Formats: sequence, C-alpha cells, structure tokens
Amino acid sequence: MFTRIGAIALNTFREAIRNRVLYLLLIFAVCTITFAQVLSLLTVGSEEKIVKDFGLATIDVFSVLTAVLLGITLVSREIEKRTVLTLLAKPIHRAEFILGKFGGLVLTLLVNTVFMSIWLFAVLAVKQMFDPQLATAIVLLFLQFLLITAIAIFFSCVSGPILACVLTLALYVVGHLLWSLELLEARLASEGARLLCRVVYCLLPNFSNFDIKGQVVHGQAIDPAVIGFAFLYLAVYGSAVLFGACAVFQRKELQ
Amino acid sequence: MGRPASIWSGRRGLALLSIGALLLAALLQGRFDARAAPRDEVDPMLYLPSGKYLKVASLGFDEILADLIYLWSIQYYGNYEIEDRYRYLEHIYGQVVSELDPHYLDPYLVGSLIMNLEAGDPELALRLLDKGIGNNPDRWILAFEAGFLCYNDLGDYARAAAYFEQALRSPDVHPLVRRLYAEMHNRAGDKRTSLREWAEIYDTSSDEYVRQIAWKHVHDLKIDIDLADLNDAIALYRERFGACPRHLEALRREGLVDAIPLDPDDNEYRYDHRTGRATHQGGLVVGG
Repeated sequence: MFTRIGAIALNTFREAIRNRVLYLLLIFAVCTITFAQVLSLLTVGSEEKIVKDFGLATIDVFSVLTAVLLGITLVSREIEKRTVLTLLAKPIHRAEFILGKFGGLVLTLLVNTVFMSIWLFAVLAVKQMFDPQLATAIVLLFLQFLLITAIAIFFSCVSGPILACVLTLALYVVGHLLWSLELLEARLASEGARLLCRVVYCLLPNFSNFDIKGQVVHGQAIDPAVIGFAFLYLAVYGSAVLFGACAVFQRKELQ
Repeated sequence: MGRPASIWSGRRGLALLSIGALLLAALLQGRFDARAAPRDEVDPMLYLPSGKYLKVASLGFDEILADLIYLWSIQYYGNYEIEDRYRYLEHIYGQVVSELDPHYLDPYLVGSLIMNLEAGDPELALRLLDKGIGNNPDRWILAFEAGFLCYNDLGDYARAAAYFEQALRSPDVHPLVRRLYAEMHNRAGDKRTSLREWAEIYDTSSDEYVRQIAWKHVHDLKIDIDLADLNDAIALYRERFGACPRHLEALRREGLVDAIPLDPDDNEYRYDHRTGRATHQGGLVVGG
C-alpha cells in the first residue's frame, strides 16, 4: 500500500515542480523576503523585527497560495483529463490515490518551505540577525500548510477548481477568525445558541493553533504544550479531512 | 507562400509595442498629475480603524500590519508640512499599533518621543508608555523611558522614582536605572532612601567607576542627613532651654540624639554656639 501511495506521491511531486505557478510564487516570495531588508531601513528602532515579520509572513502567504492553487487542481484535473481512469484501472485503491496526491503536495510544500526558509535565514545571517528560534515558527506554519492542503484536496474532490479555491480560501479566512465566535458565544443569552456557537467553533479548522510567529519574533518562550497540541490537532483534524476526501472520492462517478 | 513579415508577427515587435505602451501610460499619468487641480486633502487618519478591528481583518498577520503602520507613521510624522499631524497621535500608537502588536516596543518608545518632544504633550506620552508597561511588564526600557521623561521634562522626581522602581523589578535591567532611582529620591527630598540606595550600589557594584560615583553620593548624603538631624536637635534644645547648647555633646546628654555623628571621613562636624548651626568643615563632593 505504502509503495503505491509513494509512487503516486512521487509522480504528483514531479508534476507539481513542473508547474510554472510554483516558480512564480517562489520568485515573488524571494523578492518579498529580500525587499524586507530595504523596508527595514525605513524604521526607527529594531530592523530585525521587520525582516523577521516579513520573512515569516511571506513563507505563510506564499505557501498557503501554493497549497491552495496546486491542491484544488490535483484531483479535478486528473478527472478532467481522464488520466484517473487509467490509474484506477490498476490495482490501486481510490483512497490510496487521494493519499498519494496529498503526499506529493506535502513533498512539494516541504521543498518550497525549506527553500524560502533557507533564503530567509541567509538574509538574516547577512544582517547578522540569524535566529534559529524562527525554525519553530516555520515548523508550525508547515503544519498549517498540511491542513490547508488536506482541505484543498477535499474540496477538489467535491467540486470544480474555482469553487474549490473559493471554499478553501474561505475556510482559511474563517479559520483565522474563530476567536470572534468565542466572543459571540460570551455575548449570547440563549443557552442553545451558545451551544451551537461552541459546536461550530470546535468543528471549524482553527489555524491560530499554528500561529506562533509573534511570540517567536519577540523572543518569548514557547510552551512545548502549544507545539505538541499543534501536532496533535493536525493529526486528528487532518486525518478527518483526508478520510472525508477519500470517502467522497470513493463514491465519485468518474465516467 | 508565407505571409509578409509585420510587426504583429514578430515576438520582439510585440514586446517593444508592450513596453512602448507602458511608457506612454506612465508619461500620460505624469502629465495628468501635473495638470490636475490638487485634490481635496482628506486626512488619511479618518479611514484608519482601531487596532481591534484591524486585528480581525489581518487574518493572523497582526505583527506585519503593525510593522507597516508603524513604518508609515514614521514617514507621516516626519512630514512637517502636515500641520495638524499630532491630532491622531494617540489613535495611531495607542489604539492601532499597540493593539495589533502589544509587544512591539519601538512604537511605544518612538510614539512617546513624538508626543513629548514634537507635540509637547508629556502626559499623552506617559499614557502610551503606561500602556506599554502594562503589556510588557518584563521590559525595563519602557518604565525607564517614562521615569526619564518625568525626571527630565516634568521635574516630577517622586513620579520618576516610582517608574524607575518599576523598571528595577524587570529582569536584565541596566545598572543606570538603579543610580537614577537613588538620585530621584534625593531630588524628591527623601535623602534617607537615597542614601540607602547609593550605599547598596556602592556595596554591590563591581564597576570601580560606579563605586566611586556611589561613594561621592553616599558622602554628601550622609553629611546632609547628619547636619539636618543635628540642626533639628539644636532647634529642639533651644525650644526646651531657651538657648543654644554650648557643645553638640549636650544634645546627646539630653537624649535629643542617640550619638553625635562623625562625617564620612571620621571628622567631627563644626558647631558655632552663637549661631546655633552645625556645619561641615569640608565641601561636598557632588554638590548639594
């Protein structure tokens, strides 16, 4: 099973790195990280914070875009080109196909994130601001990309690329605004409405679990429980989304 | 038979056309801006919402938004052509940047500097620094800045001492803060606390230069305090007996002082029974 998933993942990775969108995003990311150096000259005070903030935000934004733009077409394009039929004619389970696609995109994102991180660390090293603590924030950001990839693949299974893109980005936005649901819950008078609010809050993906950029940049101590919870959350929520994607794809009419 | 070559068929020709059109657009924009009547100046601050709302819109990018608004604010306050630019100081630093990134120290420091030195509103600056101290109780620099403002600009030494005391509670505090704290008590009139602090600096500092400074302060403060005690006792003696004592020793005999103090160099203080004043025979080292 793992050999088959690995083979699909490798092919997906090969396909992804031939995609020009990936290189375009990488070039933009490299330019933005480099530009942060210039921008930091405008500040009064710590240039380091500006470069680090811009670096981490760039890795975040461009990797999320990569995950969404590549993830939404992974399944639908295979169906559109009917290559999926050739593939599934072989002794490959549909769930293995989805997991292989996910694995390939994860590999792409890993290469992508490592490349951008090396560039950021190089820029910081040139300015003598090298801070290995940033790696912790990048690892957690990577976990966030994995969850977004799983969500993008899920939507790619249930709808066309445009709708999948809109839905994934919408969920990304909602996943960053969940704390407002907590505020709403506190203000609601009805017990039932509060319960509904709590259920919605718990069911939606909470991306703030992966966001420790601020603490890392300010040099604050990171509670190991926060990092542990981020891994656990990804394992549980990511599995739920991927199993959901497999289930949808299992019943999908491919003719 | 192929079609005749034209500008439309060559890749280079089309690229040149594209660049040419872009340059023309830039030229037209420049011309338009030069000829157009100046637009009504609408204060950009009117459209800058509070940090609480911006935080919602930032989708987890609060820090970078704080960076950008802070960078922009520096350029804005550097523009001396905007006459009413100080109207929104509290909004920008106190309600936007500090809400977006409460741990970003530079906006507190630079914002308070602009509020105090440029806008001439030290109380506004202290409010911003108070907010910064509240958000970052372990960072001594903010309480230090507030204390220095009270000392240097307001001449409010008791308030300055309170801020320096707050800074001293932070880890890794700069040794200068302790010296300023000691000196603020002196200037506020609390010489005994000042003496205690300077004596502790003298005892604990490993820097010889700092120890020398501390010793000079201890020297002067001890003389000041001793003379104040002696002169108070002389006044009490005069009240009780209707005349000044012949010698300082009489003060001890009557229980007005526990002992007759010696100066820091172990010399006796001078006493003139005709004027009823105790004085020090040498000069003060730091000055008082």
